[in-house]
Amino acid sequence: MGSLNYIQGETGTQVKDVFISPDAPHTLLLDKHADYIAAYGSKKDDYEYTLSEYLRMSGIYWGLTVMDLMSQLPRMNRQEIVDFITACQHECGGVGASIGHDPHLLYTLSAVQILCLYDSVDALDVDKIVEYVKGLQQADGSFAGDKWGEIDTRFSFCAVATLSLLGKMDAIDVDKAVEFVLSCMNFDGGFGCRPGSESHAGQIYCCTGFLSLTGQLHQLNADLLGWWLCERQLPSGGLNGRPEKLPDVCYSWWVLASLRIIGKIHWIDKDKLRSFILACQDEETGGFADRPGDMVDPFHTLFGIAGLSLLGDEKIKAVNPVLCMPEDVLQKLGLKPELLS
Amino acid sequence: MAESQSELDVLVQRVVKDITNAFKRNPNIDEIGVIPCPEGRYNRSPIVVVENKLGVESWCVKFLLPYVHHKVLLYRQRKNWLDKEALVDITSTLLLLNPDVTTAWNVRKELIQSGVLKAEKDLYLGKLALTKFPKSPETWIHRRWVLQQILRRLSAVDCDGKQQQGEAERAAVERSQQFSYHFAQLLHKELNVCSDAACSYPSNYNAWSHRIWVLQHMAKGNVKVFHDELSTTRQWVSMHVSDHSGFHYRQFLLQELIEEFSLTPAPSKNCSPLHQSMPRTCFLPSISVLANGEQSGIQTIDEDERELDLAKLFELFHQEMELCSDLIRSFPGHETLWSHRRHVFYLWHQWRWEHQLYFNCNGSTVLCNIGDTDQLKQGGQGSGDCGAGSMEVDGISLPDSRDSKRLKRGFRLSNPPSLSSECTFLSTILDRQCNPEQRHFGLAYKKWLESVIGKEL
Repeated sequence: MGSLNYIQGETGTQVKDVFISPDAPHTLLLDKHADYIAAYGSKKDDYEYTLSEYLRMSGIYWGLTVMDLMSQLPRMNRQEIVDFITACQHECGGVGASIGHDPHLLYTLSAVQILCLYDSVDALDVDKIVEYVKGLQQADGSFAGDKWGEIDTRFSFCAVATLSLLGKMDAIDVDKAVEFVLSCMNFDGGFGCRPGSESHAGQIYCCTGFLSLTGQLHQLNADLLGWWLCERQLPSGGLNGRPEKLPDVCYSWWVLASLRIIGKIHWIDKDKLRSFILACQDEETGGFADRPGDMVDPFHTLFGIAGLSLLGDEKIKAVNPVLCMPEDVLQKLGLKPELLS
Repeated sequence: MAESQSELDVLVQRVVKDITNAFKRNPNIDEIGVIPCPEGRYNRSPIVVVENKLGVESWCVKFLLPYVHHKVLLYRQRKNWLDKEALVDITSTLLLLNPDVTTAWNVRKELIQSGVLKAEKDLYLGKLALTKFPKSPETWIHRRWVLQQILRRLSAVDCDGKQQQGEAERAAVERSQQFSYHFAQLLHKELNVCSDAACSYPSNYNAWSHRIWVLQHMAKGNVKVFHDELSTTRQWVSMHVSDHSGFHYRQFLLQELIEEFSLTPAPSKNCSPLHQSMPRTCFLPSISVLANGEQSGIQTIDEDERELDLAKLFELFHQEMELCSDLIRSFPGHETLWSHRRHVFYLWHQWRWEHQLYFNCNGSTVLCNIGDTDQLKQGGQGSGDCGAGSMEVDGISLPDSRDSKRLKRGFRLSNPPSLSSECTFLSTILDRQCNPEQRHFGLAYKKWLESVIGKEL
């Protein structure tokens, strides 16, 4: 963890940031990343596999999306994955993280995203998914994540993202849903998980994405939000998710994508961010970590590659900032989420 | 370890049993953890309890976790039957090792609904899981569900009691007092769980947003609880000046208290809580019957009350800005502190403008006269001419604090923040030999005042 240093300010103040060593990777190692993802899963032991099974469906979405962005999707076993997803759908229409796991909006969205990559949405009972999502909307417009009732703006995003990919947005009360998300807006222009909660880059990504999909971006205070988002950039070039947190590749994506959605991506130093993301690659194993020198995983690998795509890397396919999927996939679906310019 | 599958099963079953027995023998276990230990020793259990801390030797975790995980999932798919007791033990072991397995918490929700498992048991299990995994989202989510079950149950008892008469009424009052007591206990314990998790992981978003949820659902409108929280977290944030979530919690408290002091009539708070019938649909306790049976809010809305509230409100803002100034001077270069300053100033700014409108529309008791706002546009330099003795707050003139009636009651209006006081503060910070980070954040704050606050005037 040599990179996890604190930079000493001149008078001894500790700025929470990382130090990027001059010999950190500074070129994109695409082939290594593709090999890393292709091999991931095959060499896991029982313990590691069960440890992350509760989010398997999202794990597959991360892996397949990053492979598609690198134009390597054919290396993955399509039929096996499609069959797995079909087996994860429940009677109620919702999809679980893996076989035997309870249904949830988080994994329902991941399943639909994967099937869109494969142009095989019919592998699921679409009408039932729509019913499931619709049934989770509450009187105040918010969405519960599952039948047990937890409310979070993340779930509002999952609901509208799922429905827009299925072309069924009219199934829910969009006005009410928008009203709830806007009630979570804070004085700094950001959003939290519920009304009154602290602004958080992950929640901001969900809420700006939600407002984009519902065509309501004009309701944002783009200048104020852009200000807060830009303040996430640290001297190392990496972005954090809240004040005084360490920079992280996944927050770099959420902040960058939000800035892209509200048309303020030019407000940060793109070159420095690119260097930070490249420094998070593992030259030996392939893959990206949260910070330089840490252990890599598929989650940070997707967000590293997707971030570089938004920054304009031509070796990677163009990524859509709202749905974190290749633009060509969305084009085929006729989807063009609103972006501010 | 090359045990066969059946040997492994026996071993793991014994460990699950050991864990269950450890909890039976030591009902006060307050922390869990993994003991680094690459190999097991013959005939010795990998479960160790020392001073109420339960440790699991690391060598067995890699067998134990997959075993209990598969058991729970096979049960969920109806491929393997488990009796209720075994299910409680297996899910508990799984969740202590990996508390983000949503499905396992859901199995326990069903056990609670069917009456097999007491809801309080899961507050305890969750609390233990949080000692090792203080961020675990699923553990916090499950807690909120469990708390709602308990609140629903408590208020059902309370509501039933309120419909009795005579002899039964006295018993009902007693039950209601018991309810208040249980409720206060529940609230107190829950806030402690949040504090512990906040101490174990810095800027713990899940712990602090849970704490907000707890107040919103268990202390809505209870001014005393909000005040207590403001004073208990004062010390905490002073020792955690980088913890943005902790400061955000104070911003939330201030905002809620401002709403309480917003000087608008709130007639529902006049009724005695014990004789007030509760709507059937309301599962949460009435806003006034909370910890210590304390009543909240404004009893009568007359001018004196309003002025008293105004004085309290000013005091709140004054104290928060003073705290923030002290911390910024003592701990230079912390973004969190500057971010807090923005929020507190913004809250004040917003309150002032909302109430300017209110008093304008209401027209009855004019406490604040709207002054000329031009001076603010000039950058808040100096105070305007608003008559001797009356206080000037960014263009709003406030009542004369030397007024005889207020003096008699001991009123004293604290100085609320103003653009000019902020400019003065900034000049003392930026003029000094401040470090580059402090200068950076100070200048960003100045820019924010000019472009965000200045633009709105």
